[in-house]
Amino acid sequence: MPPLYELENIRQVYARRVVLEIDQMVVYPGEIIGLSGPNGSGKSTLLRILAMLESPVRGRIFFSGRPANPNDLQSRRQITLLSQSPYLLKRSVLGNVSYGLKLRGITGKKEKARAALSMVGLDPQEFAGRMWYELSGGEAQRVALAARLAIRPGALLLDEPTAYLDEYSAERIRSAALYAVEKWNTALVLVSHDHAWLGSVCQRILQMHRGRLQAS
Amino acid sequence: MDYIAEGLVQALNLLLQGDPETFSAIWVTLRVSTASILASLILGIPPGFLLGHYSFAGKRAVRVIVDTLLSLPTVVIGLLVYTLVSRQGPLGEFGLLFTLPAICIGQTILGLPIVIALTASAVETLDQRLPALLSTLGADRKQMLLTTVWESRFSLLAAAVTAYGRIVSEVGISMMVGGNIKWYTRTITTAIALETNKGRFAFGIALGLVLLLIAFLINLVLNVLKKRTQV
Ligand SMILES: Nc1ncnc2c1ncn2[C@@H]1O[C@H](COP(=O)(O)OP(=O)(O)O)[C@@H](O)[C@H]1O
Ligand SMILES: [Mg+2]
Repeated sequence: MPPLYELENIRQVYARRVVLEIDQMVVYPGEIIGLSGPNGSGKSTLLRILAMLESPVRGRIFFSGRPANPNDLQSRRQITLLSQSPYLLKRSVLGNVSYGLKLRGITGKKEKARAALSMVGLDPQEFAGRMWYELSGGEAQRVALAARLAIRPGALLLDEPTAYLDEYSAERIRSAALYAVEKWNTALVLVSHDHAWLGSVCQRILQMHRGRLQAS
Repeated sequence: MDYIAEGLVQALNLLLQGDPETFSAIWVTLRVSTASILASLILGIPPGFLLGHYSFAGKRAVRVIVDTLLSLPTVVIGLLVYTLVSRQGPLGEFGLLFTLPAICIGQTILGLPIVIALTASAVETLDQRLPALLSTLGADRKQMLLTTVWESRFSLLAAAVTAYGRIVSEVGISMMVGGNIKWYTRTITTAIALETNKGRFAFGIALGLVLLLIAFLINLVLNVLKKRTQV
C-alpha cells in the first residue's frame, strides 16, 4: 500500500527560531499515529503542516504521492484538522456539519450530516436545528468533529481534541475517530496528553521534543 | 408648561388623523434616507471589506482618513454638495440643486465613511480561527470570501443601522441642498427646524415623535445584533 504522507527534511521556523525539524515521517492509510510531548515541542505545528494550513520553510511533503500544495484543492479536501477549541460557523448545527459537503457540491447533505451527528453521539432529532450558541463546550466539540467526519476524510488530524471535555464527550470523540478508521480507512494522527488513549489505539507513538521526533 | 402638553395632544392628533403635511415630510424622509443608505452600503462595503481583510502599505493612513471623515460635519458636506450641483459646479448641468437626488448625494457622503469604517472593523474582529476552519473544511478562494462575508453579517447589519441613524437624523445637508421645499424636499428634520421658528410646536413635536420612534427601533435592532455578534 502506498503511503498517504511522506515527509522529508521538514523544517519550520517562527520568528527566526527553528520550531520543527523532521528528517523523515511516513503515514499510511488507515494508520493511527500518536504524537506526544511537552508543550511547545512542535506538535501543533506539525499538524498544521500536515493539514496544509501552513508550508514549511524547507523540505518536501507528498500526499498520496503528489507534492503537497495548499492550492491543490483536491488533495486539501481529503485532509482535515480538529483543534482543541474549534470555531463553529454562525449557523445551525446542521449548517455547520453539512458545510464541507456543500463546498464540495455533494448531494444528500442533510442525511449525511445527520449520520455524522449520530457518529459523535448527538441525536440529530435534538441537535440538528440548534444554533451555534445553544451548545455546551462538549457538544460544540462533537459538532466540530461531525463536520469533519461528514466529508469522509482520508486523513483526520486531531490536536488535543478532548483537552477541555468531560469523560462522556471525550469518549464520544475517541470512538467516532476510530469509527472513521474502520469505515473509510482514514489515517489518524492524534495529539494528546491522554497516554492511556494513545497507548490503546495507536500503532505508533511518536515523541516530540524541541521540534524533533523520537520514536518510542 | 401648558403649551407643551397642549402641543403634545395636538401632535398626536396630527399623527392619528394622518395630517398630509406631516406625512409628506415623513414620506420624503423615508424615501431619501433609504436611497442614501443603500448607496452607502453598495459603495462602502467592498472597500471596507478590503480595508479590513488585507494589509498593504499605507493602510493605517487610509484608516486615519476614514476615521476623520466619520466626524465630517453635515454643513461641510452640504457646502461640498452645494458647490458640486449648483449651476456653475461640475454637476451643474443636471439641475440637482434643491432636489431629492442632491440630498441623497450628501447623505451618501455622510454614510459612506461610517459603513467603510465599521465594515473594516467587522472584518478585522472576525475570529482568527475562521480562515483555518474554512481551509480545513475544503473551501476554495471564492467560497472563503463568501462565507467570511456571511459570518460578519450581524456586524455588517449593525454598521448599516448605525449609518442609517446618522442619515435619518441629519439636518444640515437636507437644509442646504434640499432647500426645505414644502411637499417636495421638506424632510422631518428640516420641517422641525423651520416650523419651530414659526411657533408651530405641535407640528414639530409630532415629527419629533416619529424621529424618536425611528431612533428607538434602530437601537432595538442594534441591541439584538450586539448580542448576536458577541457569541
Ligand atoms: N505564531 C508563532 N510565532 C512564534 N512562535 C510560535 C508561534 N506559534 C508557535 N510558536 C512556537 O513554536 C513552538 C511550537 O509550538 P506548537 O507547535 O504550538 O507546540 P505544541 O503544540 O507541541 O505545544 C513553541 O515554542 C511556540 O512557542
Ligand atoms: Mg499544541
